[in-house]
Parts: sequence; C-alpha cells; structure tokens
Amino acid sequence: MLQVSHIRKQFQRTGEVLRDISFTLEDGEFLSVIGPSGAGKTTLFRILNGAEPCDGGQILYDGTHFESARGREKRAVQRRIGTIYQDFCLVENVSVLQNVLNACLPEMSLAASLLGAFGRERTARAAEILQEVGLADKLEEPVKNLSGGQKQRVAIARALMRSPSILLADEPVASLDPVTGRQILCLLQEVRRTHPVSILMNSHNLELSLAFSTHIVGMNQGRVVFDGAPGDVTEAVLREIYGETEEAV
Amino acid sequence: MSRRTSRRCLTLAAFALVFLWAAWFTGCDLGAMWSRRGHLTDIVSRMVPPDWSFAGKALPLLWSTVQMSVTGTFLGAAMAIPAAMVCAAPLPGPAVLKKAVRFCIQVLRSFPALILALLATFFLGIGSFAGTAAITVYTFAIMARLTYEDIESAPQGPYLALRTMGASPVRAFARGIFPEILPAYLTNGLYLLEGNVRHSSILGYVGAGGIGLLLNEKVSWREYDRVGMILLLLFVIVYGMEHLSAFLTALVQHERSLGRNGGRLLAAAAAALFVVCTLTLPPPDLSRTSLQMVQNLFAGLLQPDWELFFRPDSSGLAYLLLETAAIALVGTCAGAVFAVPLAFLGSSRFFPAPVAWLFRTVVTAIRSVPFLIYGLIFIRVCGPGSFTGVLTLAVCSVGLLCKRFTEAIDALDLRAYHALESMGTGKLACLRHVALPQLAPRFFSAWLYRFDVNIREASVLGLAGAGGIGAPLILAMNQYAWHEVSTLALGMIALSWLVDVISGRCRRRMA
Repeated sequence: MLQVSHIRKQFQRTGEVLRDISFTLEDGEFLSVIGPSGAGKTTLFRILNGAEPCDGGQILYDGTHFESARGREKRAVQRRIGTIYQDFCLVENVSVLQNVLNACLPEMSLAASLLGAFGRERTARAAEILQEVGLADKLEEPVKNLSGGQKQRVAIARALMRSPSILLADEPVASLDPVTGRQILCLLQEVRRTHPVSILMNSHNLELSLAFSTHIVGMNQGRVVFDGAPGDVTEAVLREIYGETEEAV
Repeated sequence: MSRRTSRRCLTLAAFALVFLWAAWFTGCDLGAMWSRRGHLTDIVSRMVPPDWSFAGKALPLLWSTVQMSVTGTFLGAAMAIPAAMVCAAPLPGPAVLKKAVRFCIQVLRSFPALILALLATFFLGIGSFAGTAAITVYTFAIMARLTYEDIESAPQGPYLALRTMGASPVRAFARGIFPEILPAYLTNGLYLLEGNVRHSSILGYVGAGGIGLLLNEKVSWREYDRVGMILLLLFVIVYGMEHLSAFLTALVQHERSLGRNGGRLLAAAAAALFVVCTLTLPPPDLSRTSLQMVQNLFAGLLQPDWELFFRPDSSGLAYLLLETAAIALVGTCAGAVFAVPLAFLGSSRFFPAPVAWLFRTVVTAIRSVPFLIYGLIFIRVCGPGSFTGVLTLAVCSVGLLCKRFTEAIDALDLRAYHALESMGTGKLACLRHVALPQLAPRFFSAWLYRFDVNIREASVLGLAGAGGIGAPLILAMNQYAWHEVSTLALGMIALSWLVDVISGRCRRRMA
C-alpha cells in the first residue's frame, strides 16, 4: 500500500508545483492520476520513484517512510517499485532479454553486475516474463528494431522482473497509437490480475484512464481536486480538474 | 550463449591475438620504459618554467604557422567542392572521370601533410609557400572525400525537382543540394582548420616554414626551456582555435545566432583574415626548380623499384608496411585505453563542471604538442625503434580520441541510465549496462577513424627515428631516389586503401 500525505514541492524557476497532495493506493488497485498539462503529475511521479526529493509531507510504501529514506534504505524501497515511462527508457542497441535482465542489477554483487553474470535462473525468469508480455520470439532482437508497442512491453517486462508491489506508469500510452495504447493498458490489467501488484498511472488520456482504472485522482495546479471512483467522474468534476480547456473535451 | 554473443567473443579474441602479436612485433617493453622514466620527467621538468624572453622570437614564426593553416584550409576546402561535384554519384558526368578523380583523392589522402610538404619543397623551394601548398592539398583530399559522401547521402528530391524544371546541373546542385550539405561542410572545414594548426607547426622540420624549424632547432640543441615556451604558445593557439571552432560550429548548426548583421560581419572578418594571410605569404622560391628535376622526379615515380617491392627482409616494403600498421594498431589501442576514463572525467554530465574543465584543459594541452615532439622525447627514453613510435602515437591518440569520446558522452541519451538508477542500481553498473552499450559503437567509430589517421601519421614517425615506413621514405626523397619513393608510396597507398575498405565495412556493419 502507498500512502501519500501532504506532499509539497517548489522549484526556484517555476514556483510551487505541488501544494498539498494526499491520496492512498490500496493493494491491487489501478489508480490513474489525471489533470491538465502543468498540474504537477510528472513531478509527483518523479518524487514517488525517488528521482526528486519533496519539500514536505510523507510517502509511506507499506509503512516505510520513503521521503526521508537515504542510501540502502531508499534503494530497498526502490526495489519494490517498478516504473514504466512514456519514452520507454530502454537501451536501444542491446537485446530485449538484456534490457529485462538489467532490472536485476540492484540485487547483484558489484563484480557480477559489471561482468553481466546474471545466471541461468534470472535469464529463465526474464524469458518467462517476456513470454507473458507476448515477446517470446524477440529475446535476442535489439530493442531499436521493435515497434513502440513492443518497446513498452519490454519496459513492462523489465518492471515485472523486480516482482514489484507497485508499478508506476508515467504516461505509458502517450507515444503510442490508440489501438496499441489500448492493448498496452489491457496488458497492464492482465498484469494486475496475475501479479500481486498495484498500478499508479499518470495519463493525459481521459477516456482510457476512466475505462481501465479502479480509482481516479484528479489534479489541478498542484492540488488534488478529485479522489474517487471512475463512475463518480461527472462533467462538473471534469470542469474542476481541467477548467474550461480543450483537454476536458 | 547466443550466436551473436559467441560471434562477438570470437571477434574480440581474434582482435586480442592480433594486438598481442603487434605488441610483440613492435618490441613493446613497458618494464624498460619504467626503468628509464627518469629521462622523461627530466625533459619535462626542464621545460618548466619556460623561457619567457623567447616569446618575441617565436611569435612571428607562430603567425606564419597560423597563416599557412588558414590559407591552406580555405583554399583546400574551396577546391574540394568542384572535385566532390565531379565524384558524387547523383550528379551527371562520365563514370570514368568520376572513378579517376576518386582514385586521385584516395592517393592524396594516403600521405600525411609532412610528406606532402617535403614534396612541395622540391617544387616550390623552402619556406611557408611550400607548407601552404601542402596544407591545401591535404585539406583538399580530406574535404573532397567528406563532401562527396555528404552529397551522396543528402536528399536528392530538391535537386531532381530543379533538374526536371530545366535547371542546369550546377544550378540545381547550388540550390537543391548545397544548402543541405552546407552545415556539415562548414563543420568539417572548421575541424580541419583546428587540426591544420597542429600539422603546420611541424612542417618546418622539412623546411616548409612555420614554427617547426625553430622547434626542431631548440629540441636538437636541448634548449628545453625555449621548447617549453614554444609549446606554451602552441597550447594558447590550439586552445583559442578549439573554442573559436566550437563557437562557429554552434553558429553553423543554428544552436546560436548572431543576427543578420552579426553573421555578415563574421563572414567579412573570415574573408579579411583569408585575404591578409594569403597576401602576406612569402612568394615561392623557384630558383632551384628546373624542368630537368621535374622530369627526373616523374620518370622515377613512374618506374618503381620492384626489387624493394618484393624484398623479403626487414628493409623490404612488406616488412615496413607491417611495422607501420603494427605501430598504428598498438598506439591507437593504448591511446584508447587512457582516453576512455579521461573522456568521462572531462564530461560535465558525470563530473562537476570544474573537474570536467580541468581534465578538458589537460587533454587540450596533450593535443597541442606536435606529435614529433613526443617522438623526440620518447626517443630519449626508449631509443630509436618501433616502441618509440607506439608510445608517440599512443599519447597523440589520447588527446585526439579523448575529444571524440567526450563529444559522444555529451550526446549520450541518459533516460535509460536514470531509469535504472531510480530502480536502485549503482552508478558503475548503470555505466556498464546503459552508457557503455550506447557508447561502444561511437567509440569504435572514433577509434577506427583515429587508426586510419595513425596509419598515415606512423609513416612520419620515421623522421624522429621511431620506426615504420617513414624513415626510408623521407631518406629516399632527400636523396632524390624517386624509384624507391615510388615503391614506398605505392605501399602507403595500398595500406591506406586496405584500412579504408576494412573500416568502411566495420562502420556499415555497425550501422
């Protein structure tokens, strides 16, 4: 379970980006954070995966304080988080299998990680997960030869390799066409059913977010303006989240 | 193990074997070098502090060096455009002519600027004019090759559209293709200008003007404090040139802008610099050039010494070429080993800006010393022979490879790196599994380019007694033994062509 309480973040250039963010992600939930551009969604994700510190508030991953964790303690929490990105963040000129195996590096000794000695067990598990995401025939293919949808599947496999309890998905379908985007979200749904994992997605795509999520958090100008079920998202709620912008349409 | 991995391991093993053989062949002995390291530190310590009073005498010759490189680069780059137009496959022209011009360019590319300068002194007499001619030909050969490759890879649509509208090939080229290749053409020209300053600084060794003559004199007389002063001045010039080149490259690639008037002012300044450099060049000294001498030269060149060509011992062509290739291979590899960590230390993406600046400045200092000076220093440490050549090329390669490697690191896509870091992966493992796979093809490409250049540079090391084909070639030229020159030149052309073909294949396979 992830509990986010009163998170604040301020940048020197842009001022206060997150004002008072609080929500809870229960085990097994599919939570989507929606909101217009500049609402602070990406900053929130960077804070949640440890890439950015927050200025105040609490982040509790299964009871462990992440906001104040440093060094080993922080890495131990990070190992329970899987992240997938809009631009995949894969190493393009190495194989699909190698990219998935890279997820094991934090748990390996320095010598083994530098030598790339992943071992049979990890390799077999990576192959198994790649089969699960539909890439069993692409194990040795360099990532640069794959389509956008296939790259996102590799990224999902890499995240699953850690057996995460939480999967952070930062705009996972933003650079994909609508059909492929829907397929990727179907895959995430499937992952949620077959693995003990909760999903926290940040998305611009309102329609897909409402269709696939079990929990919606709406943000506007660094504040949570809605927290509830997708069925409770009414026209009035959308106006509150997006204002009178085109994004609401 | 997958087939791809096993093939890669086999290639690496084969390369390691070739490297070890080349190291044995060139007599690499690090133990001997270590035991005589005192000689190296002794020479370097005698250069510090430099003789400041000597700056006044060195500056006019330094200006002459800059003059040769500016005029030579401008002329060579300008002459390369029509030659590239004749060679480029998409433009009309007889296939025979295209092949003939390409062959001439390949032949000219096989020789380093110093050999071209020595040849130029036979025609144009001793002085800066011969040096300028050599730099012009050197620049022409490299720029022509790069430009016709750029023309061939540029989009052909605009050119074909203009041709179908009735435009002449030259006009269609000027309006359809030239604007596309202009940024790359100017970037290559600036890169060559920067390198030509270094090349020009040693041309004085063969009497082709510039500061090289003075440098040679002071090294021979062991006046190391004065050598130190010349090297300091060269460092200032190279450092300034690199920053100017980086600024102009940013302008060419539209990363910076000077506005319309600023651009015009800059073009006018460049034109004025070229005119001043060219008009103040001393005229050629043709007093010792005769028709008979030219006839003898060509008659000799057309009749190679086949006995030397097929001689099986260590004075034969095959042995000399093998020695040159081995020196270049070991020197380039050794340089790369040191260049990789230095390149990371010089990148502000991985280290704090002051640390990166410090290491970049150190690398520029290494690069600004003409390679013959390294040769003359190492010869005092290791004695004459191939190992001195290896050490010289290794140090030169550190400076030049480091620059290319740092450029590759600065262009690295770090998204995957940060993704792994956010999972809790350590920095070393991130470098090994994200940065290295992305950098390896670029590093290898830079290494191949350096090896290609070092093959030619290795032939000049003979001047310092550092092994390879250079010593017999320069000796034969100075003795007017044109039959031998012809044979040795044929060997150099063949070796350069072979390396060109191999590196071309490697690059295509990596793409």
